Amino acid sequence: MTTELTTEINMRCDLEGRIIVITSGKGGVGKTTATASIGAALALEGKRVVVVDMDIGLRNLDVVMGLENRIIFNIVDAVKGKCKLRQASVKDRRIDNLYLIPASQSDNKDVLNPREMTDFSGELRKEFDYVLMDCPAGIERGFENSVAAADEAIVICAPEVSSVRDADRIIGLLYSRSITPKLVVNRIVPEMVERGDMLNHLDVVDVLSIELIGLVPMDDQVVVSTNTGTPLVLQKKSPAGEAFCRIARRIDGMTDLPIEVPRTDQRLWKKIAGKFGFGK
Amino acid sequence: MDKANQVRTPVRLKGMGDSVYVSFDPAQPIEYLRGEVDRLFKRMKHLAINARVILDADEQDGYEEIVEELGKFLKETFSVASVSCPPRKRLISEEKIRKLDMERSWDNYRSDVLMLTGRIRSGQKVTAKKHLVIMGDVNPGGKVIAGGDILIMGKLRGIAAAGQPDNDRVIVLALDFHPTQIQIGKVLAAGSPSSPGKTAEFAHVENGAIVVKDYLGTDPFGRIPWPRVR
Repeated sequence: MTTELTTEINMRCDLEGRIIVITSGKGGVGKTTATASIGAALALEGKRVVVVDMDIGLRNLDVVMGLENRIIFNIVDAVKGKCKLRQASVKDRRIDNLYLIPASQSDNKDVLNPREMTDFSGELRKEFDYVLMDCPAGIERGFENSVAAADEAIVICAPEVSSVRDADRIIGLLYSRSITPKLVVNRIVPEMVERGDMLNHLDVVDVLSIELIGLVPMDDQVVVSTNTGTPLVLQKKSPAGEAFCRIARRIDGMTDLPIEVPRTDQRLWKKIAGKFGFGK
Repeated sequence: MDKANQVRTPVRLKGMGDSVYVSFDPAQPIEYLRGEVDRLFKRMKHLAINARVILDADEQDGYEEIVEELGKFLKETFSVASVSCPPRKRLISEEKIRKLDMERSWDNYRSDVLMLTGRIRSGQKVTAKKHLVIMGDVNPGGKVIAGGDILIMGKLRGIAAAGQPDNDRVIVLALDFHPTQIQIGKVLAAGSPSSPGKTAEFAHVENGAIVVKDYLGTDPFGRIPWPRVR
């Protein structure tokens, strides 16, 4: 019975889209950036992707993706049946197969409930290969709504004690809903890690004890990308963008892709060699 | 001195042949016992010198440390010749119990222990009526509460409250002991910053304060001569 059920679920997951919630508990650790970047990277791999902003009342994802001036309908309209799913999905200008369902800016999180989201998720699964839910900070209704329909979860954690504490709480809540989350450690500053001023990613993994799928370095390009609405993964020489691309490939089945640990830029000799045009 | 008064006194002294027999209540704090012994031996004046002293913890086991400390104090302060413990009396009742223990392999006892495997995460709370054993880690923000002892076979980083509500004769043990906060009975202590070494340590109450010691170095239960149900 159980085996049959598992097989059925697996088949359904294969045929229909995967709903992945991107969460962290704490605010400001990079959930929205991660959602936009992983979504864009998956779309570049040829998958049909929708990123859903679940932060009702405080929408951001549209700005990060540079789609704020094209919003007509939002997630609340789509869930409440005021518009069709295709009407609420805003197509990205630069990347084919990438869509955004924005949050409502005028409502609050109580306007939706987990049951409505579960019902709505069926439509999303049929339409897209990947549905990435950008979960709001906190563990209240916004989190409940985002998690209700999710098959999988990615926990974003910054290498800070407070972020680890909140991520740990979120992981416990996800496990209680029988979701086994995966971990991305974001905003790593290798110089600080080497000096011992920042938590090492191994310490974070040691406490959280879930599967690590990526390490993302701190990158100034993130600020540029967010302000200009350009997808980070399209920016050349963005270490964070490259890291998110690798994470997307790992999500898409390339599980044996090695995880690159962010390191300090270059050693002294390499820097000198670089000045003279060697070692490139 | 009437008998009723004698029972209440925590330290009692009497002459016994060529020895001085000192019996004391081991539940009293060591400072108090030392003060009382000091007071009684000062009264003996020169009779204390080269005396043979027998220290008896009211016929109770497990107080060898107190006996040792009081013995050392007597030798240094009053120059007594020797300090020893009274010979153990053979008790029929105790013998019967031990025989039963051996025959039934301690099967005649029942102890309530909640034993869990896995990780206690931030925001999770585990409560055990009596003892609690966790084969795994307790993360920062996680809380474990027990009516008896708490044994963490892993890292303790969260809050541990043992002996709830008011039993302060319990311990909290962890293989890697860095709790945020410890509570034993009604005594509370803030956790210490983490040290690089990983040794099995335990916390217990000593003179009204929580003290953390190396478990293997101290071996707090190693001196109990016969296995007891906790």
